Formats: sequence, C-alpha cells, structure tokens
Amino acid sequence: MNSANVTLSVSNVSLKKVYKRYGSTEIVKGIDLEIGAHEFVVLVGPSGCGKSTTLRMIAGLEEISDGTVSIGERVVNKIPPKDRDVAMVFQNYALYPHLSVAENIAFGLKLRKTPKDRVKAAVDEASSILSLDPYLERKPSDLSGGQRQRVAMGRAIVRHPKVFLFDEPLSNLDAKLRTQMRAEIKRLHKRLQVTTVYVTHDQVEAMTLADRIVIMRDGKIEQIGTPMDVFLHPANTFVASFIGSPPMNLLDGKIRKSDGKVAIELNDGCIVPVPHKDGMSFTDGQEVRVGFRPEDLDVVVNDQNHTAPMNCSVDLVEPLGSEALLHLQIAGQSAVAKTTSHGRSSDMSGIANTTQVFGNLKHLHIFDRASEQSIY
Amino acid sequence: MSSFNLYSRGDKVFGIINATLLTLFVLSTLYPFIYIAASSISSGLAVTSGDVLLFPKDITFAAYDRVLSDPVFWTSYANTMFYTIFGTLVSLAIIIPGAYALSRKRLLGRRYLNFFVAFTMWFHAGMIPFFLNIRDLGLLDSRIGILIAFACTAFNIILLRNFFESIPESFEEAAKMDGANEFTLLWKVYIPLSKPALVTIALFCIVARWNGYFWAMVLLRDEDKIPLQVYLKKIIIELNMDDQFASSLINSEYSFETIVAAIIVASIIPVLAVYPYLQKHFNKGIMMGGVKE
Amino acid sequence: MSSNINNKITGIGQILRKDWQLYLLLAPMVIWFIVFLYTPMAGLQIAFKDFSLFKGIYGSTWVGFEHFQTLFNDELFIRSIGNTFLISLYSLVFAFPMPIILALMFNELHHAMFKKTAQTIAYLPHFISVVIVAGMVVSFLSPTTGIVNLVLDYFGFEKTYFLTNPDYFRPIFIGSTMWKEAGFESIVYLAAIAGVNPSLYESARVDGASRWQQIWRITLPSILPTIIIMLIIRIGNLVEVGFEYIILLYQPATFETSDVISTFIYRVGLQGSQYDIATAAGLFNAVIAFILVYSANRISRKLSSSSLW
Ligand SMILES: Nc1ncnc2c1ncn2[C@@H]1O[C@H](COP(=O)(O)OP(=O)(O)O)[C@@H](O)[C@H]1O
Ligand SMILES: [Mg+2]
Repeated sequence: MNSANVTLSVSNVSLKKVYKRYGSTEIVKGIDLEIGAHEFVVLVGPSGCGKSTTLRMIAGLEEISDGTVSIGERVVNKIPPKDRDVAMVFQNYALYPHLSVAENIAFGLKLRKTPKDRVKAAVDEASSILSLDPYLERKPSDLSGGQRQRVAMGRAIVRHPKVFLFDEPLSNLDAKLRTQMRAEIKRLHKRLQVTTVYVTHDQVEAMTLADRIVIMRDGKIEQIGTPMDVFLHPANTFVASFIGSPPMNLLDGKIRKSDGKVAIELNDGCIVPVPHKDGMSFTDGQEVRVGFRPEDLDVVVNDQNHTAPMNCSVDLVEPLGSEALLHLQIAGQSAVAKTTSHGRSSDMSGIANTTQVFGNLKHLHIFDRASEQSIY
Repeated sequence: MSSFNLYSRGDKVFGIINATLLTLFVLSTLYPFIYIAASSISSGLAVTSGDVLLFPKDITFAAYDRVLSDPVFWTSYANTMFYTIFGTLVSLAIIIPGAYALSRKRLLGRRYLNFFVAFTMWFHAGMIPFFLNIRDLGLLDSRIGILIAFACTAFNIILLRNFFESIPESFEEAAKMDGANEFTLLWKVYIPLSKPALVTIALFCIVARWNGYFWAMVLLRDEDKIPLQVYLKKIIIELNMDDQFASSLINSEYSFETIVAAIIVASIIPVLAVYPYLQKHFNKGIMMGGVKE
Repeated sequence: MSSNINNKITGIGQILRKDWQLYLLLAPMVIWFIVFLYTPMAGLQIAFKDFSLFKGIYGSTWVGFEHFQTLFNDELFIRSIGNTFLISLYSLVFAFPMPIILALMFNELHHAMFKKTAQTIAYLPHFISVVIVAGMVVSFLSPTTGIVNLVLDYFGFEKTYFLTNPDYFRPIFIGSTMWKEAGFESIVYLAAIAGVNPSLYESARVDGASRWQQIWRITLPSILPTIIIMLIIRIGNLVEVGFEYIILLYQPATFETSDVISTFIYRVGLQGSQYDIATAAGLFNAVIAFILVYSANRISRKLSSSSLW
C-alpha cells in the first residue's frame, strides 16, 4: 500500500554447540538453537547467565570459542559484524549525541556509501514506521526515553537486516513506558516480520513478546518453548520458579503408593493426592517437590474433585485490589497464594485467619528433588 | 513585619568580613593589570614621576607607536601565532590517535604501553640530555623542531585516554555493526563525542604554546624565529635589569616603563580574548584531571 | 616449548594483521615518546662519561662517579640543593594554605554574581606567562622608576633595589607565584567542597551551628582528603621549583638564595657547556624527584585507595 509496507528478506539463525570461553572459564556451554525465519525468539534468564554473550556472538561482537553460528545458509563465525546482515539495538541505545535523529538513523547507510536519495528514502520510511517524523531534526538529548528507543530501532531497521538483535532494550525505561514500548516492538515485528532475537531478564517481557522463549541458566539452555508451553509445562524447577509471577510454590514431599493410588506426603503429614495420568511412574518413597502456582492455591474450594487441602498459617496478607497475596507457611516452608476470595472487601481478617489452603490438582506439578526435572 | 531571619547577627558580620577580604584579594589580583594598562597609555614622564597609580595621565599612545613600529615585535608575534596554531594541531594529531588506541581494551600490551607513557611523568632525563638529543636530531634553531619536540605530555594523553574509556563500548559496537573501521570510528564517533575533552586539551596546548619561553629561548638562535615570549624576555627583563639602559630611554612621551607596559598589554590581549572559553573548560579539565593510570 | 613460542608469535601476527589500524593510530605517539623522551634517558650515561662533542654520547670515555664527586665538592651545587629545599619548604608553609583559604572564602560568598566575578578574576593570572609576571615584578620593583619604590619614597623610606638583595628573593618569588597561582589552585578545593552533601549543612543549621562553626565542623573535615592528597603531590614535587620563573628573576647578586638545582644545571650545562657535569646534577635531581613522587604516590594510594596516576 504505502512504501513503509515492505517485506524484508529475512534469514533463519542456527546455533550449533556454541561455546564461549574467557581463558578457562566457560560462559556459554554448548548452545543448540534453531531460530526460524520471521520468528521472534526471546532469550531469558537471570543476569549473568550468558544471554548477552550469546546474542553478541550472533552479532559478531564476540568471537565464538567453539561451535558454529549460521545466518541463513552461511556460517558466520569468521564474518565481521558489518557483513552479517544483522542489526542490533543496545540497552543504552548508543545514539550519537552530536547527530540529529535523522542523521543517527542514516549513520549506518552513510558509512556504506549509500546514495543520498536512497538514504533519504530509507530514513523517511523508518521514521514513518516509528512515527518519528516530527523529531527528525532534534538531537537525542531533546527526546524522551521512549522516543530514543524508537530512534535506536529506526537505526536498526533502515539497514533492512535479515535479523534483528535486541539486548535488554527496555531496561532503561520506567514501568509504564516499558509496557508501551513492548507493544510497539511487537507491532513492529508483526509488520516487518524480521527474524528477531531478543534478550531480557524480565520474564513478563519474554512471555508477552516471544513466539518462542529460550530459558537459560549458567550458560546452558534449560527449556525452549512457546510462552504458554513453558508456563504450563516447565521442564524443571528452575523454569517453574523463573516463569510466572509470583513464582511457583515448591513444597518438599515423598511419594506414597498404596492400592495403585499415588499421593505425596508433605513434611507435616498432609497428603496431596496425585490424579492418574498416562505414563506416570513413581517409586514409593521417592523424594519430590510439589508445585502449585499461587493462583492454584486458594482459601476456598473451587473444584471438589480436584483439590488438595493443606494446613497452613498466614504470615502476611498483601491486598492488591481485586486480588490478595497470602504469604503462608505450609509444612514448614513458605508459600504464596493468590486469592480473590476476600470479595474485594477491605476486611482481610477472614483470610488472615485461614488455617487451610486448597491446591488445585488440575494444575499440579511434580519434580524429582534430586534431578529437578519435571516428572508429572 | 519581621521577615524570616535566615542568618544570625554573627553570621551576617562573618559574611561582611568575608566579602571584604575577598574584595581586597580580587583588587590586589587586578591591580597590576590596571596599573600596566594605565601606564601603557600615559606619558613616560607621568609614570616615572609616580603620578600614575590607577588612572592614566597625559594620555598618549606613543609607547604603542614605538612598540608597534619595531619589526621584531611583529615577527615574534607572527611566530607565536604560528607555533601556537600549528603546535596545537601537531599535538592533537599525535595525542588523539594515541590516546584512542590506549583506551582500547584489546590493545596488546596495553598495561605496558600505559606505563610507558605514565613513567615519563615520574622520571625525565632532564635538561641537558634533552637538549643534546634535539641537537643530535638536527632540530636546533628549527621551527619544525619547536612544533614537534613539545607535542605531547603524558598528562594530556592520560586525560584524553580516560575520557575515551568513559564512553560506553556500545557506541563502538554499534558503529562497527554499521560497518565503521577504526579510522571512521575515531573520526565520526569518538572525536565528536569527546568535544569537551578535546577543547580542554586544545586549550591547554594553546596556553602552553602561547606562554612557553624557556625552550624557545634555548633552542632558537635566529631572531626571525623567536616567539613573542622570548622577545618579551629580551626587552623587559634583560634590558630592564640594565638600569642604565632604562634611564637612557626616558623622554617626555614614553619611557621604558610605558614601553614595557605596552608590550605586556599587546601580548596579553589574545589571552584575554580566549579567556572566557578557557574558563568554561578548565573547570571540566580539572575534573577530568583526576588522572588515573 | 619452542612451538609454544612460535604459536604465540603467529598469534600476535594475526592480531596485528586484524587490528593493524589500531596499531597504526598508536604508532606516532609511541615513536614520539621514544625519540623525544626515552632517547634522552639513554643520554643520561654522559653523567658517567668524559663527554666530548666530537666523540658523541656513545663514544666518550667512562669516568665513573667522577662528576658526582666534583659536584658534591662544589659549594655552589650544595648551596643549590639547600636553596631548592628551602624555597620548596617556604612555599609549602606560605603558599600551600592560600588556595584552601580562598576556596573556603569563595564558598561562603552567597552573592552569585560577585562570586562568579571574583573567581573569574582570581583564575586569570594563571594564564599569564611567567615572562610577563617577571616583567611586572621587575618593573614594579625597579629602583628608579618602579611603583613600589616611588610609593616608599613618597612615605619617606629609602629606595631599595629589591631584586639585587638576596634577603628579598624568596619572599618576592613566593609572593608573586602566589599571586599567579593561588586563585587557580583553589579550583580543586572548590570542586571538593561542591561534593559535600548539602544536607549536612542543613542539619547543622537546624542544630544552630554558625557559619564559622560549619566551616570548621563540616567543610574542612569534608575536604581534608583532598587537602592531604594535594599536600602529598606538593611534597612529591619538592624539587620542581619553578626554575623557568627563577631564571627570569634572579641575578648573580642573589644567587646566594636564588640558585636552585635546575638553575645550576642551566648555567653550568646550557650556558657553560659543561654537559657531563650538568647531566650528573640533572640525574641527581631526577632521581630525588622520582623517589619523592613515587613515595608520594604510594602513600596517597594507601591513604585514599585512589591513586594519583
Ligand atoms: N570479557 C569478559 N571476561 C570474562 N568474563 C566475562 C566477560 N564478559 C562477560 N563475562 C562474564 O560472562 C557472564 C555472562 O555475561 P552476560 O552474557 O553479559 O550475561 P547476561 O545474561 O546478564 O547478559 C557473566 O558472568 C560475566 O561476568
Ligand atoms: Mg546482558
């Protein structure tokens, strides 16, 4: 329709057994990852786990110690960043303060000796996509945080890269702007369909943006999957407690088998029945951790047939408006329940005196305590 | 209607005493300038008989006529301009790339190179070996020698290196992804980003060049090449020490005093002209001067 | 073992090839330092040689410590060491506190316009060349026509030629240096004062402290680290008396108090062409300077955990 409505030629990205070492310390420990063309993949994990390093190896800013990175059909290990057809948006935007918005956006093209009219067209295109038209002549210092962020993206998209790389692009913004820019990045991706690798430590960002989430810990991938996939079926306790807020409650217990029925006995003797599932296999006495998300613990019974009552004491009630968070002790371990049962009244005394919570067995998770892997 | 009393009486007295003392200090700083300016446009007689204290008397520009008609004054003025402008350019041309390279973490032997530079702040060979070296290089009595031999100071290099180091690495990375090589990176990104530091260093160089006299005096023989400060030294120190010469000059229009004053005024004017810029920047320079290795 | 070294060398070769632009940028500076600062260091060997212009630095014959013996038997050299330290000591006592006092006073000025003007004027003399300052001093103190003597004369005192009297040299030198530098040096302390947390003053005022008490109880203690660092730098530079300025002001009549090590070197070496002896004196000077600066840096590193260099 209009000139801004272009489809760019994009590439898939593939990482095979990628390692990064500084001297003898391994930072990235053998990452395998296939990112499809047009896909939006988010690398998420606690800070220091090697997300940025991985991204920077894709960008060509860090040497790859071992393994291969390919963009499209091409192995890029030895190719300098400028020839990889990738563009990157940095956390601090790296906007040149001495250049106007238009010049910032055009900087990369000018370095490549692109003809003037092409540069102008590309800048106009980018600025209309990002609604930067009114600011083109301003200096970055005269822009708000969100506008700077958009300029940084503009600088990336004018180059028509085959892959976009983002390294925590929203961490310098306040909470409200972050939500807004998140939506904008998502719209941009819908529109341009450029393959995107996005790094963040914020699981909410990961959930809302990603086609697929890659959860990393300690230089290794813990799980890859769609946002709902990793939320509903966390592969291990790390993913379970990393994705979702507040995090999943994990309670120690032991498997008890009798009459073909399986249950878990918590430390205080409470019994959590385990509904039958095909293919489940436990050994009697196996040490496990029971996982309930806070929203699956409630002070009232929601579903008679799928409930596990547990004894508890309430440490603290945090009213959030329509919901309340209950900080509990269950079998000597802390847990959090999210409830709406106070009926939006200001009187919390009812739930503050609760002595029993009910776990929703439809959303029960069980992890092996030794291996931390999901076993149910 | 009693107003809100911010300061007690003692504090007010303190403030007044403080302001008075500072006023005295400022006046005593200013007075020599005023006196020189006043005597430069007074008659020689008025100055030698002590009639000029604050204001000019028998206003005349005879002293300036005399000074400005001396061709050596003009040559030395032009020479100083030359040494200042080109000397500063040479300094920047060596200091900027050097400091930039030193600021890169991936530079091989960076620690040793930093030490190599910083060591010269602690230990220098001294006057004679430096002089003999200049002579052996054939740079005695040479304009080029003056330009090059005093191009760098470890202090300026470290100052600029620290500034370059404080620029976030993402600027370099972003430019590299855009396809910049080392030269474009320095020219289009680091230099524009470092303007305040560069202006400060340029000003340091300019002031040092404008005011420096010692090595120019030692190394330059030819009167055509000497800078203003060496000329000034010849006139106002060497001749003035010679009291007989001084008294021989006295005539009613100008005297030795008024001539010296006129020369001083003529040579200070460029410094005063750049002083506002200087003042804006040297504060910054001093702050950056938390020179660290 | 040797293959290891070979690997290393090819590794370095690769890095140089990949990053040649960076090393090209570095080269002019390194060459400059070698040619103009490190080559003279090799020239220091003539301190131990009987230097002859014809044989050159490297061809001259070794004489061991002969020049040093000559020097330490030379009353004039010994005198110059004494003068160097005395001038440094006096400026430490008289000139060092001045910028601190000035900074404290500037800080107590609350009239913004006056404060700015006062500072602007106070910094100015720093940018005036020593030649001009010396010229002003010479001209003001001139026995026949200088304003000082004219004023003395007016009040019935005898005219004096200050610059030929050894007793006056040090006060004149230190006083005019203070006039030139004290204002400018106050910047460092003003910066330190600017870093003091303003709420300290507010709480002191609530507690009823007077301005005088605030200076003693808050400002001074807060800038004490800066003062100590500056003092250490000053002590480290003890032998670095402003000889370029001294050369302009001194004359044979005042050598007794004004001749310092550097001026001694200048006279013996550059004016007298006794290069080897002057180099020996210079080496002595440089070694003392190095020891002082090095220890000063070590001490300040210990005291402030932030080193100067
Ligand atoms: N140049 C380096 N030398 C040594 N260790 C490094 C270097 N750069 C990063 N690291 C380490 O690598 C780890 C991963 O860093 P990074 O990829 O930035 O983590 P993040 O997941 O927070 O982006 C960190 O523990 C960091 O300390
Ligand atoms: Mg990171």
